[in-house]
Amino acid sequence: MNSVVAGITYRALLGRRRIVLLLLLPVALLGLALLLRLMGSDDQRSAMLLMQNFAIGTMLPLLGLIAGTGVIAPEIDDGTIIHLMSKPISRPVIAQTKFLVAASLLAVFAAVPTYVAAWLLVGNEDAIAPGFAVGALVAGIAYAAVFLLLGVVTRHAVTIGVVYALVWEGLVGGFVPGARKFSVQQWAQSIADQISTSPFLKADVTLGFAVPALVIVTVLAVLWAGQRLRVLSLTGDE
Amino acid sequence: MSEIYDIGYRHYDGPRLGRGHTTRALTVHSLRGVFGLGRPARSKLVPFSLAAIMVLPAIVSIAIMALMRREGMSYSGFAVIMQAVLAIFLASQAPTVVAPDLRFRVLPLYLSRPVTITEYVGAKVVAMTVALYALIAVPLTLMFAGELLVDLPGPPRTKEYLGAMLTGLLLAVLLAAFGLAIASLTPRRGLGVASVIALYLLASASVPIMYSTLLSAGDEDAARWAWLINPFWLVDAVQVWVFGTTPNSEGGYPDGPVSFVIVVLLIAAAVAALALRYRKAASR
Repeated sequence: MNSVVAGITYRALLGRRRIVLLLLLPVALLGLALLLRLMGSDDQRSAMLLMQNFAIGTMLPLLGLIAGTGVIAPEIDDGTIIHLMSKPISRPVIAQTKFLVAASLLAVFAAVPTYVAAWLLVGNEDAIAPGFAVGALVAGIAYAAVFLLLGVVTRHAVTIGVVYALVWEGLVGGFVPGARKFSVQQWAQSIADQISTSPFLKADVTLGFAVPALVIVTVLAVLWAGQRLRVLSLTGDE
Repeated sequence: MSEIYDIGYRHYDGPRLGRGHTTRALTVHSLRGVFGLGRPARSKLVPFSLAAIMVLPAIVSIAIMALMRREGMSYSGFAVIMQAVLAIFLASQAPTVVAPDLRFRVLPLYLSRPVTITEYVGAKVVAMTVALYALIAVPLTLMFAGELLVDLPGPPRTKEYLGAMLTGLLLAVLLAAFGLAIASLTPRRGLGVASVIALYLLASASVPIMYSTLLSAGDEDAARWAWLINPFWLVDAVQVWVFGTTPNSEGGYPDGPVSFVIVVLLIAAAVAALALRYRKAASR
């Protein structure tokens, strides 16, 4: 953890247009929650629909993508990462710092709005709101690590991330039950299911698989990103 | 004498091809860029694999028609069913059309030639439209050719095919104009990809939530309006209105030309946004 690197990364993410995107998605979630409440369908079933389809299924991977790749990919694209890497800071530390920045942003922009949206709909019934908030927080951390690694490994990080989030987790996970085991979203739902006692929530993946998977994916991705950063070569864009 | 320093450079005395040719060259160049032609293999991977995924259902459909002797996939529902692939294609390729020129600030170079902003923006929109339309029209045409060759009992579904081809064009124009307008807001490719896909996902993920909520509130007419948030269903609504096909959503769409009006307004807004954006970008 290096506070200067963290400061630079925060400024790069929050000072530019990226923040519009980071805000747009949580605002849409809260708007939908408010709309559902005003329509009078603030029951557990519609809360589940909003949480599973929108908060965990759409908002979280997108925010993870924007924050996770945003902390490092633009710098590699511009070549300004060379200024950072030529300083006597160990590269794994740079990767870890950037991961922490992305994870903290996801906690603020994904986990907190998830809690508020669920709370708007069902209050604290059956611990739905805290369940999904903790699920979003943990999955957000995993997404931050995975997409940070993608940003270091490839120039097409965002496209590959979109394909993973939409095609693998959305389409393949919908048809092939086995694919759900390897989906960050499903791990988030397992954790939400563990905390919440709502009868409407059923996770497909057991907690015994989800928790180790989340930890392993996060740790491995951050370590690997650090290793990749050590041997990073800057090549021209197309 | 004004020719003291004439050191013998030759003037261009070949044919002058004119402005139409410039625009056409820019369009072809942008179109090649969308599919990564003339660029390294890495850039071809994403567009061509997405195009291959678009063709897959057509092949499966022809196989169903040939082997099982029954109708394959419907033409009218093709774009709606394949919407995720089209959206990913738009999101990943729209920034490659607009971002590099903005990022390296080469617009003044373009505009120092007899190319106007209108022609530049027009060329970009046409290139993206052609690319998207190719993704929709090629599989549809393959399926139709397959249907004619297999020669199923009963008349061929020519009207449905032509309708799908026409609404496919409308969809391609809408997506291209809108995608480019959003992608042109940022000179960074990654951020452009993320913003286009974020807007599509916002629209598509909120539809089922709004629909089921309005339906459970007993307001069926309002629930039908929810489908129009997603551009793919919006254009499908136009298809239902013009060609009388079966709607690809539960419960159908609002009646009448309202969806068509919305599509036209959206296209106009996107093109206007693009023009404004480039007027500003050109002045730097």
